[in-house]
Amino acid sequence: MDESRACDVVVVGAGLSGLRAARDLTAVGFEVVVLEARDRVGGRSWTDTTPGGHTYDRGGQWLGTNQPRTAALAAELGVTTFPTFGAGEAVEWRAGERSTYVGLIPTSDPNAAADGVEAILDLDLAALDVPVDAPWEAHGAADLDGQTLATWLAEHVGASPARVMLDVAIKAIFGTGAEELSLLFALFYLHAGGGLSNLARTTGGAQAERFVGGSQQLAVGLAAPLGDRVVLGAPVHAITYGPSSVVVHTGGGAAAPLEIRARRAVLAMPPALSGRLAFDPPLPGRRDQLCMRMPMGSVTKVHAIYDEPFWRERGLNGQLVSDEGALSSTFDDSPSDGSDGALVGFVAGNDCRRYEAAGDKAREAAILDDLERAFGPDARCPRELVTQHWPAEPFTRGGPVAISVPGALSGFGPALREPVGPLHWAGTETATEWCGYLEGALQSGERVAAEVAESLGAQAAGEGL
Amino acid sequence: MASAEEIADAYADWRARSNGNERLRKMVRGWNRIVHLHTTDTDESFTLSVLDQELSALTRGGVGQPDLIVTGSSEDFCDMFWGDLNPSEKYMSGEIKLAGSGEDVMRLDAISMVAFLDQ
Repeated sequence: MDESRACDVVVVGAGLSGLRAARDLTAVGFEVVVLEARDRVGGRSWTDTTPGGHTYDRGGQWLGTNQPRTAALAAELGVTTFPTFGAGEAVEWRAGERSTYVGLIPTSDPNAAADGVEAILDLDLAALDVPVDAPWEAHGAADLDGQTLATWLAEHVGASPARVMLDVAIKAIFGTGAEELSLLFALFYLHAGGGLSNLARTTGGAQAERFVGGSQQLAVGLAAPLGDRVVLGAPVHAITYGPSSVVVHTGGGAAAPLEIRARRAVLAMPPALSGRLAFDPPLPGRRDQLCMRMPMGSVTKVHAIYDEPFWRERGLNGQLVSDEGALSSTFDDSPSDGSDGALVGFVAGNDCRRYEAAGDKAREAAILDDLERAFGPDARCPRELVTQHWPAEPFTRGGPVAISVPGALSGFGPALREPVGPLHWAGTETATEWCGYLEGALQSGERVAAEVAESLGAQAAGEGL
Repeated sequence: MASAEEIADAYADWRARSNGNERLRKMVRGWNRIVHLHTTDTDESFTLSVLDQELSALTRGGVGQPDLIVTGSSEDFCDMFWGDLNPSEKYMSGEIKLAGSGEDVMRLDAISMVAFLDQ
């Protein structure tokens, strides 16, 4: 017999969104239980230390400009931040040639660079016309959702050097290529994050700052006051629900199987994963089919750790955009205290899939080639090289974010946040500000907590009559 | 500090180059704006407009209802108009401020990327 507990709200998933919802609901007096499948909190926010003692983020790691919730939480928890290193030149590797540039746009081909800027502006202006709270209500939504971002790029940029560099940025941002992304979804996502130029930037943009000691501290700090309301090692596999009650079953993890009875459930996980749980009764078709149309991106995050950030002495800022090999982009990831040097990079989209098939050794060899080409021979010999292959993570199955394929948002969009009986949806994918980012996770947690509190308040008032 | 005359000279140069640059003209298509510039150190105001893909001459003083207000030091305006200073870094550090819509900020960002490609 499973251990049984009762509460007002059961939250499934102790990432930033679930923990934020749990905190807000606890603060207004609801009894909350948070079930987490893993043996840690944080979800896609995961800080680890290498055997050599280097602390790094396996998942989300940046604080962007204009991310007030994340900044406020960090300040509240005493987690300090520091600017992402950006002084000096970035490296562009394109068509087998290396060049360096200053600023956001690779300039080896000035005409292509200007073409790229024009395309970014056109996309960002179009994004402003897509309402972030209801992209499916955009003017011409069905038409925009009937094509991919690649279709748009083919029409506006063609097969040019500018396209190559835009593809690198898109892969890094979405974890997948433009050919998989609904244009409507891409425009929504750009609008929610302040535009493509903003999402691609370090200084003044999405990668502006880093957390001293890693981003997972935010989740740990949110979880601490919740105490034993957070149950680790408790994967949820089945959810039975009625009009205003829900029973959630866990099992197969480190914790003993649990049966949690609650008045509401918050499912704080990407849509694709929520669709894999066994619901009784089955989810409405529209919700389940939305889950089928929002796959996770494919990204392998790579950290190369050196004794010192030697590239800085060469006037390089550690950034790379490349159209060859495994790594399509890198950033300086050295710690703020100067104790060692590190580069973080991404193997994304089809590269991620290709190197998963080729195997860890082939991926590592390709990464070292990429690093050497960009930063010199000493880059080939990192003290440690760690890879985090997100598609293999059982309770995330990809990253950095879920995307929407053509037809998903226009056909199924409202099901993204619409509650199903007592079931409410959270996670950065449901955010309207900074969807896909830590900030979006926090915003979605706030939103779902308010939504649940209102529905329980209404129910309590109804029962009182 | 730069005088109003120095700013006007620099702007005249910028205007001639911008109006002759097909790429920049394309980027302001459909974007008609009255812009006020305000210097923080010399407390001067200037007005210019973008109309039908053309930059107007610079007028002393704040004339008309601005769509966009740019605030910065007189030196920075001068350096920017001579093409020596990419304003985006100053914008990010808060030394140059913009009051305008999201679209206006995106346009200016893109324009400065193209105008200062090598900076």
